[in-house]
Amino acid sequence: MNQGGNTQTVAPPLDPNSIENRYGVDGSQVQISPYQYSTVSDGASWTAPPRVENQVVQNGNYSNSNYYHPQQPTVPPATGNVQDTPITAPFTSSSTTGTANVAQDYSGYNTPYQTSSDPPQNYSNTGYSSYYSGYQQQQPSQSYPPQPVGASYQNTGAPYQPISSFQNPGSYAGTPSYSATYYNPPADYQTTGGGYQTTNYNNQTGGGYQSANYSNQTPTSNQGNYSTNPYQNYTPDAAASTHTSTVASATTTPVHYQQNYQQWSDYYSQTEVPCAPGTEKLPATSALSQSFPVSGGTNEMPASNGQPVPSYTQPWRQETNLPQPPSQQPAAAVSASNDAYWMHQTQNQQAHYPLPPQNHYQSPLETKPLHKTPFQGHQRATYPQEMNSQSSVHHAPLGYRQPTQTTPSMDTQRVSKVQIPTNPRIASNLPSGYTKIDKGSSAAGAIKTPAYVSVSMPKPKGHATAVPEPGTLPKSLCGFVERAFARCKDDKEKASCQAALKKVITEARDDGTLHTRDWDTEPLSTVLNTDVTNTESSSTLISSFQNKSPTKRPKSRWEPLVEKPFVKAAPAFSSGVKFGGWNQQNQNNKKSFESFQKADAVTDSKPIYSWQNSAKKSFQRPVKRQRFSGGAANPIDDEASSDSDKDLTPSAMLFATSAEETKRRDSRSKRFEKVQGHSRRNDIPKPMNANIGNLHSRRGTALRLGEDFDENGCRSVEDMDWNALTVKGTCQEIEKRYFRLTSAPDPSAVRPEDVLEKALLMVQDSQKNYLYKCDQLKSIRQDLTVQRIHNHLTVKVYETHARLALEAGDLPEYNQCLSQLKILYGEGIDGCSLEFAAYSLLYITLHSNNNRELLSSMSRLSKEAKKDEAVRHALSVRAAVTSGNYVMFFRLYKTAPNMNSFLMDLYVEKMRYKAVNFMSRSCRPTIPVSYLAQVLGFSSGEKETDGMEVCSEWLKAHGASLIADSNGDMLLDTKASTTSLFMPEPEDAVAHGDKNLDVNDFFTRTS
Amino acid sequence: MAYVSMGEAHRRITEYLNRFCDAVSYQDSSMLCRLLSFSSNSPSLISLADALNVFQDASSLIRQSEKFSEYGEILAHLFRSLQSYRVGNLVEAYLAFDKFANAFVQEFRNWESAWALEALYVVCYEIRILAEKADKELTSNGKSPEKLKAAGSLLMKVFGVLAGKGPKRVGALYVTCQLFKTYFKLGTVNLCRSVIRSIETARIFDFEEFPRRDKVTYMYYTGRLEVFNENFPAADTKLSYALQHCNPRRERNIRMILKYLIPVKLSLGIIPKDELLQKYNLHEYMNVVQALRKGDLRLLRHALQEHEDRFLRSGVYLVLEKLELQVYQRLMKKIYIIQKLSDPARAHQLKLEVIAKALRWLEIDMDLDEVECIMTILIYKNLVKGYLAHKSKVVVLSKQDPFPKLNGKPVSS
Repeated sequence: MNQGGNTQTVAPPLDPNSIENRYGVDGSQVQISPYQYSTVSDGASWTAPPRVENQVVQNGNYSNSNYYHPQQPTVPPATGNVQDTPITAPFTSSSTTGTANVAQDYSGYNTPYQTSSDPPQNYSNTGYSSYYSGYQQQQPSQSYPPQPVGASYQNTGAPYQPISSFQNPGSYAGTPSYSATYYNPPADYQTTGGGYQTTNYNNQTGGGYQSANYSNQTPTSNQGNYSTNPYQNYTPDAAASTHTSTVASATTTPVHYQQNYQQWSDYYSQTEVPCAPGTEKLPATSALSQSFPVSGGTNEMPASNGQPVPSYTQPWRQETNLPQPPSQQPAAAVSASNDAYWMHQTQNQQAHYPLPPQNHYQSPLETKPLHKTPFQGHQRATYPQEMNSQSSVHHAPLGYRQPTQTTPSMDTQRVSKVQIPTNPRIASNLPSGYTKIDKGSSAAGAIKTPAYVSVSMPKPKGHATAVPEPGTLPKSLCGFVERAFARCKDDKEKASCQAALKKVITEARDDGTLHTRDWDTEPLSTVLNTDVTNTESSSTLISSFQNKSPTKRPKSRWEPLVEKPFVKAAPAFSSGVKFGGWNQQNQNNKKSFESFQKADAVTDSKPIYSWQNSAKKSFQRPVKRQRFSGGAANPIDDEASSDSDKDLTPSAMLFATSAEETKRRDSRSKRFEKVQGHSRRNDIPKPMNANIGNLHSRRGTALRLGEDFDENGCRSVEDMDWNALTVKGTCQEIEKRYFRLTSAPDPSAVRPEDVLEKALLMVQDSQKNYLYKCDQLKSIRQDLTVQRIHNHLTVKVYETHARLALEAGDLPEYNQCLSQLKILYGEGIDGCSLEFAAYSLLYITLHSNNNRELLSSMSRLSKEAKKDEAVRHALSVRAAVTSGNYVMFFRLYKTAPNMNSFLMDLYVEKMRYKAVNFMSRSCRPTIPVSYLAQVLGFSSGEKETDGMEVCSEWLKAHGASLIADSNGDMLLDTKASTTSLFMPEPEDAVAHGDKNLDVNDFFTRTS
Repeated sequence: MAYVSMGEAHRRITEYLNRFCDAVSYQDSSMLCRLLSFSSNSPSLISLADALNVFQDASSLIRQSEKFSEYGEILAHLFRSLQSYRVGNLVEAYLAFDKFANAFVQEFRNWESAWALEALYVVCYEIRILAEKADKELTSNGKSPEKLKAAGSLLMKVFGVLAGKGPKRVGALYVTCQLFKTYFKLGTVNLCRSVIRSIETARIFDFEEFPRRDKVTYMYYTGRLEVFNENFPAADTKLSYALQHCNPRRERNIRMILKYLIPVKLSLGIIPKDELLQKYNLHEYMNVVQALRKGDLRLLRHALQEHEDRFLRSGVYLVLEKLELQVYQRLMKKIYIIQKLSDPARAHQLKLEVIAKALRWLEIDMDLDEVECIMTILIYKNLVKGYLAHKSKVVVLSKQDPFPKLNGKPVSS
């Protein structure tokens, strides 16, 4: 189902993250955070949630800030869980190809973590896995396809936000009233299909969450993203429940399972996961087209219209009460969930997406990383345009996927199919999406565990038929169950608790008080009394757990307030604790939502959580079991799930240990290549970006790795091996134009050192003008920098460029080179350091006119340096300038070594003016121009008359009054000139004050 | 390190804690100063440091009592810093002290009266000294020294606490001076500007109300800044203020002031007595002053070359170099006087040839063009009154006061 989508999303994520980071796209980040939320509430709830929550919170708070980038990766994990169901379906088509791989990679990560046998470790592992998955998911979400969807969602969310926000609390809280009220709007959309209503529900909730939680973020794009995320998140929890309720009450549990599966799959075997979703979705899809009407007719329709609560209650009940349903649930759930997901998605999409989807899709096809920003923009633009039409559009994309994607994309495809007919626009977009989807689906789906497929297939049918129960569990009951499970500290307790719960709930149902009873106030003792001793131990366990979990988690610098809220929530229920942490954290962002989230989230998610908790607590097994159960089409509710788990354990164990394990290991070992492969695949549409994508992904992985390490507390970002990220160029072209990098460098466009050496020679021998050489040298410098080459070649390049810049009077470029050269010389690399020390001295004396700087640079000169000809010359020039000795200055000007005269050039005008001023004030009555021409350096030495002409021109230009004596020699009338001298405005003065930037002048000087 | 028993260590730490809390509760600033003054190397602090190194769990001791735990953060960081300081790990000591200082400043902010100003001074002083030492340690380890920079930003924070209205304002100048010292050492003198502005533009608080000690230091540093800017009259005022108000028995301080005041005064045409230079051991200026008196350009150049490093480091090199023009003036005056003795009627005509010959006697080789250039500059700068006849290569001096004295005015540019 969603998993397929998740996986897809995962693959793109890498790029998106990098892109996002670079672009600072808030939307993407925001999206992530929502994902986290949802994820937290879902599977992540146990271990991952706290972290995720923190991150999420942070994201929410800081969405704008760059911080998120790192966080985002973390966030994605959460989203990954969440995304599994919701996100994937809508987005998968575009991202699918990449996603599968990503998912695998992640799963690899997860698996190692999970492997640890200790319960706490398990938790942590799960958390990690969730993180990982989240990463993947984030990426997907970030990835164009997801984003668009997200965007579209967001868009819808934006318009709906007020409603959605309310709805969200409702959905989280599980409060029927909220949902009911909110559902109505979605209902309209949903009306298309009963199943949709449920989806709407989810969507609403998701949207509400997103909007509520992330209000900080811009409503438009962010919300959209969030909404998708929440959807996903919810799908496991609320969404699943809703879906199940809508599609089939019995299916609700399956949905959860699926969710779990997805999560677990993410955690354990990514490959499996994607497949599982796909498979699930496929059945679901088949079911969907059918089931939609069916489910809608039965459960969904009523629920969506105004019975959201009942629908919920029913699914819940099924879960809690009916262990049997689960068996069917897998299938039913899948179908239901798919439907629901689709519904959600579709609804969301419909509401929000009408236009955006197209844009999104298109953009994904093109350059994924870059698209994000454009997407957002598109989304925003589209938002207002058409809500309804959007929904259709969304569907359409999904539909596209369907054809291509068999397994993972099925859900989305189904959805899209349903909607496709409505939107013709999508079609254009679809082609690209198709291709991607196909790849992803084929790769992921084919590889993915077949078990899922088989399971899922039967399930849907089972759902439709076997899950007739319309009853949905009241959210308060869910909360009750969750609370009860939270009290359970080990499997035994849980088992007994489950039994007790089952009993209580069945009794209630029989009484007809299931919906009327106030489960919120129902004493847990009724359930837990049986295990008084257990509860005690559990409490201690909880406390210990609480203590451990915060400490375990190495506090990343991004997560501020996590621990406290976490602790607070913890006492209530271990599983719930995490949730509480979530909520609280979220609340931190938005206090107003706190209550909602606490109560709602707990209640809604509780059933799931409890199940998850039990599973997690009981080590990884549960997960495997779940999968297995799903695979085996075990129709068991949450409560039953534990039982079923027990029943199935042997097979599940086998399953988990054998194929999964090896796969996991494989994926772990290959995660790097895979990630890169993903990125490449993603980039396929645009070969230009392929390399960039690679780097993106590489960087992304590096970031992720860094975070992973952070999580482990083993390594910090500072410890990261950035060397591993250094580009190694492969380009063999000697000539390359300079282009300021706007993204990570592409190794194929970067020249290795030996080629650069040739390039330098080429520039040095080139007869072309300075502009060309400057351009070439800049590109050489860029390649050097990118490859972090610091050696004699680097020095040579900078020296060459500095000299050329001096020659052309390009001071800005010269300064850049000089500052680099200072660093390089400081590193002990040999070069013409004395020559450049002289330049630097001259520059300070002649241009910066800063006494302190001059003093310090003079005091830095060593004794040997002062013996150097160039340095001595520079020092003499300094003395001449400070004393105003123009005669000395122009003598030095003529005898300047190296390029010193080029720097002095820039002071000549001032010095001449000064000199003429001195002389006209001091000398009487006249001074021959010939003398001035000689003293002031006008005469070139070849022909004295030439110098005189230039000199007299110069004098006239500066307001000097010239007279001719009896011999016809030109004389400067000093007295008259004293008051008439002026510094003319430079003829080539330019508005920006730097004539070096004047192009015409530049050409004349350089060509 | 003398052996310290566990009990003894415990006793010492507890005693210190009690003293600290008493000092705070009785607002005994001098006691607090003694408790915080690391660099004093007082025996009590050293013994406390030894005790801390024996009794590792001092923080639990702090937590035990409510009295101590109130200042738990301050004390914990202080102890850690003292421990590292004692062991010689100065970077660690600095880091801990930095945290301590932050906590202390936070606490200080909450104290309404300014009773703890002295203690804050000690903290500011110690953080700077510790940072310098830590930087030395870092440099010797081949790492980039950055602690003083960090100390600068911390001091800036402290300045922010004090710079407002109220009784604490009195302390602002002390912190300013510590900032000056930091910035001058770092070579980031331009950072002083903002602090100076806030001191000099504040109308609420008269400058004279600051403690004299701080005023002198402040004037010394701002005077130095003016020397950099070659704003000699302003530098003269500030450095003279510092000289007049500083403790006359602190010869070292006086010497530091004179190091800058003498070049400034020379630039203004005021020449000190040799006794002054001798009394304060300012021999590097001896030849410079002598060159000015005698118009001996060679001597000036030699003096500058001899002490080039010192002058460059203190930043007066360029100032002294500009004295050349005054030396030229003196030389011209001498030539003029000699000519007057031999031929009073034509004494006001200085031939460039003659000047060039005089310079040759000083072993300075200049051709006529260059001499002419020097003369135009002298005339232009109003060091010589008269004009230069280019054709005949003669400087015609004004008959009235041909060599005007500067009399406290700077050479016109």
